Amino acid sequence: MKHKRSFFAFILISLTVVSGCWDKREMNELAFVSAFAVDLNEEGKYVGTFQIINPGNVAGGLQGGGGQNASITVYSAAGDNLLETEGHVSMKVSRDLYYAHTNLIIISEKVASEKGITELFDLFERAREFRTTTNVVLTRNSSAEEMLSVLTEKDKIPAEQIVNNLKGAEESQGEYQKITIDNVINSLITSGNEPLISAFSIKGEPKKGTKMENIQASQPEVRMEPNGLGVFKNGKLIDWLEGETARGTLWATDKVQATSLNITWKNKKDAIAYQVVRQKTKIAAQLKKDRPKISISVRAEGRIAEVSVSSDLTNPHTLAAIEKEVAKEIKEEIEKAIYHAQINKSDTFGFGDAIHRSHPDKWKKIKSEWNNEYFPSSDIEVKVEAFIRRTGLRTNSYLSDLEQ
Amino acid sequence: MFSFFEHSKKTSKNYSPEPLPKTIKSSLSDNLALLKQKTGKSPDIIIRSLKIGNQPKVKAAVVYVSGIVDTQTINEFLIEVLINYKEKPGNEAGQELIEKIAEEVVSVGSIKTETEWSSLFESLLSGNALIFIDGAAKALTAGTKGGEKRAIQEPSTQSTVRGSREGFTESMETNMAMVRRIIKNPNLWIESIKIGNQTRTDVSIMYINGSAESAVIEEVKKRLKKIKIDSILESGYIEQLIEDQTMSPFPTLYYTERPDIVAGNLLEGRVAVFINGTPFTLLAPAVFVQFFQASDDYYTRFDIATATRFLRAFIFLISLLGPATFVAAITYHHEMIPTTLLIVIAAQRESVPFPAIFEALIMEVTFEILREAGLRLPKAIGSTVSIVGGLVVGQAAVQAGIVSPTMLIIVAITAIASFATPSFAVAISARLLRFAFMICAASLGFYGIMLALFMMVAHLCSLRSFGIPYMAPFAPFMPGNLGDTLVRIPWWSMKKKTQLMNHKNIQESKNKKSQSLKT
Repeated sequence: MKHKRSFFAFILISLTVVSGCWDKREMNELAFVSAFAVDLNEEGKYVGTFQIINPGNVAGGLQGGGGQNASITVYSAAGDNLLETEGHVSMKVSRDLYYAHTNLIIISEKVASEKGITELFDLFERAREFRTTTNVVLTRNSSAEEMLSVLTEKDKIPAEQIVNNLKGAEESQGEYQKITIDNVINSLITSGNEPLISAFSIKGEPKKGTKMENIQASQPEVRMEPNGLGVFKNGKLIDWLEGETARGTLWATDKVQATSLNITWKNKKDAIAYQVVRQKTKIAAQLKKDRPKISISVRAEGRIAEVSVSSDLTNPHTLAAIEKEVAKEIKEEIEKAIYHAQINKSDTFGFGDAIHRSHPDKWKKIKSEWNNEYFPSSDIEVKVEAFIRRTGLRTNSYLSDLEQ
Repeated sequence: MFSFFEHSKKTSKNYSPEPLPKTIKSSLSDNLALLKQKTGKSPDIIIRSLKIGNQPKVKAAVVYVSGIVDTQTINEFLIEVLINYKEKPGNEAGQELIEKIAEEVVSVGSIKTETEWSSLFESLLSGNALIFIDGAAKALTAGTKGGEKRAIQEPSTQSTVRGSREGFTESMETNMAMVRRIIKNPNLWIESIKIGNQTRTDVSIMYINGSAESAVIEEVKKRLKKIKIDSILESGYIEQLIEDQTMSPFPTLYYTERPDIVAGNLLEGRVAVFINGTPFTLLAPAVFVQFFQASDDYYTRFDIATATRFLRAFIFLISLLGPATFVAAITYHHEMIPTTLLIVIAAQRESVPFPAIFEALIMEVTFEILREAGLRLPKAIGSTVSIVGGLVVGQAAVQAGIVSPTMLIIVAITAIASFATPSFAVAISARLLRFAFMICAASLGFYGIMLALFMMVAHLCSLRSFGIPYMAPFAPFMPGNLGDTLVRIPWWSMKKKTQLMNHKNIQESKNKKSQSLKT
């Protein structure tokens, strides 16, 4: 009994001592990769770019760090696949590359339009450190490597600034959407749905953006801005959506979180600004004699945010009239977006997916020709209801007093 | 310490080479000679010879130990009355005179006639005065216990905001009286034994007859009787000799300095063990949750009391797992730390030359050193140590880049948490286990912490205190008794007192090691 017990204790101790610590990684042995970018070089090889955080230059605190030196270092290398680029980069970095905090994947316009994004995402899903909740963006008019190298002024880590910018744009403009790896994969594998990925572009000379002087100015010459939504077809970038078309697309896909739109009132253009607080879009799909019929119903709630003509907002009839105008405006936007998509022959709305769900048996037949034949010719009916829930702190504008 | 015991065991064999004669003789000079010889003519054994009665005067002697007797009582009620006794002794002399003196002359509260030397010595050494009369083969023992004692003061270890300010003293009689004053119930029973071959320490057990489970009382008595040891200097001796499981970091007996805690526990059916010479009284059986309860909980309103108890459980977890969790997170689980925090920690650790576990151990050990030093130093120097500790070890170590500021924060929080646990007994178990958890965390990460935690919980569930499961009423789960555990329900809704002493739960102690130590 006594032997048994001491033997057990011995096993336990050797278990921790011998097998323990194999996975141990001290923080100062790790290089935290904040963003990863994919480019295509002239030979058609992938170029992976890694944005690595220099913690000492990011965090303030006792050491007085931050501000003086660049908060990130960017490394890049070419390779036949993404893993190979990592292998080549890790030779240049003195520490282990660590991806659990990677927040952004940038795909260059060139990769997206020439090679397509279909084969890119396996590594991110397979590797254990990558999170599938990592955001994905496209570059527009610049390479991904350039975009990763631009220093930013607000968030010291540029990847974070891009993500936060995009989040802000998504929440206020309604023309962009944040999309993560798992969303992209999902829309790639769903037949009858194409991904929409927001794009960023660099304003200014990219080379200057890599210098600290750029962010020391009150008006940095080089900035990154969200710029359009990339439309894909069969995994390849085919078009950009901007402004109302982009918003219309997001309306139809129930992705608008908040936005504002202007309506004409009393013959004055953009006289009333309406701010959407919440909205809900429902898609119903039917097949009538092999002809798809899609009905979209949108319900938007919001408030009046700005008025530039005098009008009696205390009168419920006026408000009802404004609501109608708003609904009309939204409907026009959605129809415009659908028309645009039908010309592109790319179903970014997931209508095909809706048909798949409502008519799974017939879907198999039309699936392969959906984007080119059925989607462009489908009947689409848009119904919009808009509600004004409140008018802000004022009812009637002071402009009404001015008129009297 | 071990060799000390062995040494004392040897001397105990040589103790009193000549056995005491069984009974006393009738000759006073013979008796006094034996007394002197047996006590080695120690100067604090006072033998006051006097003559009492009238024609013929009879020789007598009053013997006592100076310092442990009440001198005033001896002077006024023994010596003075004896000297003034002028009756004719008559021819009966010794034997009957002694009875007469006991009944008619001496005016002290307790008086007994003894014939045996062993009980006379015991009585003498515990503060009674002996009266010998020439010609009598009996002696009187008069209760004159007294001497200098510490006054009743506020307890220093378990102070409360609200509640009685009385704390136990070193005198067992005073302590038991304090409890009697709270529970005025004839069912409050006390039984007394003497433990320790040399110290002959008075040990009393106190319980409420009818409230305490008789099996528990019997078990306490049985274990106390089994103790074979030369000396009992503090209640810690008794605790370690009668506890169920020696090989455990957790205390299975509760000790307290407060009479109200003892009274409360007696009413819940526990047994108190008073030991003369220490203000700390033992309570058995003890359960784990008890160590997270303070007497304040019962005096403040129930919502506050419940909230503080949850806070204490949380504090215990911090003091146990604080550094371990941090070490595991920054060496294995970087993905679990939010990015911004991770970068801050990483920036601080850039220049730290040690692995995280080593850094944590350095700080923890430094803290333990400071704590131990603060405990032993005279109060005047104590503040110097805290300044040196706070400034030099804290700030300088960070500035020198040996430890990171976050680690300092973690260690500091842990240190404060370990002081905030209401029971010192369980706080020091956490203090010890913390290091084990840190090593598990450093070798296996959170997985290691979970393994160690499972082992700890399994161990806690296996413990018993005088037959009562240590984790009661959680394991075994007794829903009716949950009202006074981590929560304290309002007094009006506590229909019955918590009954942890379930007859079915009582089991024999399986701890052979502690028993072999006793024999």
